[in-house]
Amino acid sequence: MSTQHRTRGRRALLTGIGLIAGVALIAGCASGGTAPAADESAAPTEGGDITFLIDSLGATWIPNNSSISSYQGHIWGHVTDKLIYVDAEGNLSPWVAESWEESEDKTEFTINLKDGVTFSDGTPLDAAAVVANIDIWAKGRPDEGINRIGLFPAANYDRAEAVDETTVKVYFTAPTLSFIPTLAYHGSILLSPETLALPADQQADLSNDIGSGPFVVESWAEGDSVVLTKRDDYDWGPEALNHDGAAYLDSITYKQVAEPTLRTSSVQSGQADVAYNASPQELDPLKDEGFEIAVPRYLGFVNGYALNTTVAPFDDPLVRQAVQHGIDRDEILSTVYTSDWQAAESFIQSNVPEATDHSDQFAFDPDQAADLLDEAGWVEGADGVRTKDGQELAFTLYPNPYLATSQAVDELVAQQLSDLGFAVTLEAYDVPTYGQKVIGNAAIPANEITRSFVDVGTVAGVLTSQKKGDEDWFKVGTSDQTLNDLSNQIATATDRDDRAAVADELQEYVLAQAYFVPLTQIVQRVYVQNPALEGVTYNGLAYAYYLDAYLTE
Amino acid sequence: MLRTYGPYALRRIGQAVVVVLLAYLFTFFVISILPGDPITSTLRNPENGFTEEDIARIVSYYGLDQPLLVQLAGSLGRFVTGDFGISLRSNLPVSQLILDALGSTLQLAGAALLVAIVLAVTIAYGTQFLPPRFGQGVLRSLPSLFLSVPNFVIGLLLINVFAFGLGLFTMIDTETPWGTFFAALALGIPVSAQLAEVLIANLDHESRQEYIAVARSRGLGQSRLFLRHLVKPSSLPAVTVLALMVGELLGGALITESIFGRVGIGTLVEGAVASQDLPVLQAVVSLAALVFVVVNLLADLAYPLLDPRVTVGGRARAVSPAADQDIRSDLQEEVSIV
Repeated sequence: MSTQHRTRGRRALLTGIGLIAGVALIAGCASGGTAPAADESAAPTEGGDITFLIDSLGATWIPNNSSISSYQGHIWGHVTDKLIYVDAEGNLSPWVAESWEESEDKTEFTINLKDGVTFSDGTPLDAAAVVANIDIWAKGRPDEGINRIGLFPAANYDRAEAVDETTVKVYFTAPTLSFIPTLAYHGSILLSPETLALPADQQADLSNDIGSGPFVVESWAEGDSVVLTKRDDYDWGPEALNHDGAAYLDSITYKQVAEPTLRTSSVQSGQADVAYNASPQELDPLKDEGFEIAVPRYLGFVNGYALNTTVAPFDDPLVRQAVQHGIDRDEILSTVYTSDWQAAESFIQSNVPEATDHSDQFAFDPDQAADLLDEAGWVEGADGVRTKDGQELAFTLYPNPYLATSQAVDELVAQQLSDLGFAVTLEAYDVPTYGQKVIGNAAIPANEITRSFVDVGTVAGVLTSQKKGDEDWFKVGTSDQTLNDLSNQIATATDRDDRAAVADELQEYVLAQAYFVPLTQIVQRVYVQNPALEGVTYNGLAYAYYLDAYLTE
Repeated sequence: MLRTYGPYALRRIGQAVVVVLLAYLFTFFVISILPGDPITSTLRNPENGFTEEDIARIVSYYGLDQPLLVQLAGSLGRFVTGDFGISLRSNLPVSQLILDALGSTLQLAGAALLVAIVLAVTIAYGTQFLPPRFGQGVLRSLPSLFLSVPNFVIGLLLINVFAFGLGLFTMIDTETPWGTFFAALALGIPVSAQLAEVLIANLDHESRQEYIAVARSRGLGQSRLFLRHLVKPSSLPAVTVLALMVGELLGGALITESIFGRVGIGTLVEGAVASQDLPVLQAVVSLAALVFVVVNLLADLAYPLLDPRVTVGGRARAVSPAADQDIRSDLQEEVSIV
């Protein structure tokens, strides 16, 4: 019997290999053809439907609870407008807000609205509607399951008032330089007051959510797809895009396809136009085949480790600096990523207007790192691991489950640091477990962290614990007087140029203390695109926007 | 027979209700032991930047800060009255989510069952009547091949060949007839393996019986022999396997649906498991338990009809072997025709 089984197994194996070989052949033939190069000079053509394959359509559609998700943000970006547009360099420009004024002390803001903007149900997007929106961004209705918008400067918010049809005044209790930029954030979407008044379970039905954007929801199926069609009377796109009137495309279909290779293969075989979030390894071959790859960076923090200054071994600045100098970022870029990714220059992304280049403060230098560890008294043992007073130089890394490449990066870092005498272990968790065990856990030595923002003022809220709600990334509390002063100056600044100077000082200080170990600039949204699709724009949050997009075929 | 059937059926239905309730309770406790819930895991996404205080207020709205037993009582109370509650993840009514997903899954599972049965019977038929040199060996090795290749590999192969290679369907609309067919194929192939194995083993056993030799020697036609004398006695274990296949179809649907990008009960479960969406999971698990129990009940009730030797209600009935009777009458027919 056992021989019979073995024969069967071998036969099965051979048949299987034959099958796979055959499939590979067919698939190879299918994807061999390269799409024709687009004609750059062609005028935009009206019409056309595109299909956008996305890994997930996220959880709920309650606007406040979902609009800053990496997934739903795509749909909200087309169904709704914002008051202000932010481009990839962090410049703000008019959108639904035609202009704005700030008081000298940055506590009162006046927003002048464009005339004639309407929601897709015909109701006007007037001052009263804007007030209703600002109110819910700032406060939410948590007792009814509706969040506030996480990054809205809620702590200082006093009230918003409609002065007349097209003028809104907003009052804060303290200087809030970040208010205007926050209006361009992907959470700050304008919805009809009628939508905002709905209870949570009705807001969760996307077809009830009425915006003023260039597309409207034609149909949607939970966990499957969202079909958007163009709104013909749309004529108030962001001024920066210089686009008059409605969108060129007739429709955009967002379809959920969980498996990453199926998303890219669909684009390769011409069945879809955009595949979202391909893995970095797939990108170079796709580029060679003529597909458009976009890896826009968002404004925010780079990807890196926030070190916990209260637990060993990172309670010693020398050890923290040793980690900074012990990581070979070029190897991370060449191993895990492609040439589209860039090394970090500071702990904020280099496209943030206030970012300055501090890369020499944490340059890869294994000799210097070893010297620092010697100086700190960590002696290398027979097994290559350094010890001090009987303690091993050990810590655990927890890959960030919100980032697909995090585990690969952490594995490489663990290997690089072990060459220096660190004993690094990895513990990977899924999103819920990570949320429970790692986020907010004061004993975690190194948090791999990143975050998008539109205003550098946000930085202050993560550095110390001076204010309620501060995140205190490095667990320094209020113990570091220099850090307190610098973050206060950032938070209460009333002038952007003055603040930029402080921001430079702050970056230098945080990196000198090695509170933060930058790795690479973050690219969290990767687009593989049919080359026939032209005119796509990416805003400061790296979302693809199709108001000005068209198909050349 | 009816007199023994009544209490028997009632007892089985009672058992079914208990099983469904236990499945409901079990899901509740298993999920409650796990850390987190969809609300906090969404709110804790560092991208969102919420404070613990913000999170606590939202969590309190959903009653997730209540003691376990209070949550259970509420959920059980709603369940008994047929209200499955609101999905924590999507905030939509669970009953609506299930209704939206059910049609697609039933279509897929039904088609897959059909694929599995056709495949298994074809293979089994082939193993009996194809000459050993012309493919019988290959046929006999197919079930173990089908079992050893994972569902998702078959799915990916089919998609690569028939969607991307030949363009018979697209990933954008996999609910078209071709899309459904290939999804059913991906799901049905592994499921057919067990059925085929059981059929083959039984056919092998039956064909070694004397009455078959007699029938053959009298020149009984091949199809007739297969359908009338081999399939029927071989089908009893096949019915058991068929009932078990329902479980496999439910489990396999999860993978097949997510690979083919179909929205169904499988993808609903997948999303709910990933985010620990308790109301959805409880409803689906209870539904699955119900389906499974009902199908097995039907199988149990079908046994006595297929083979009178099967005892009902614990009382044995002495019956002369059915096959022998059949073969006798059949042979008489054949003889009279000759």
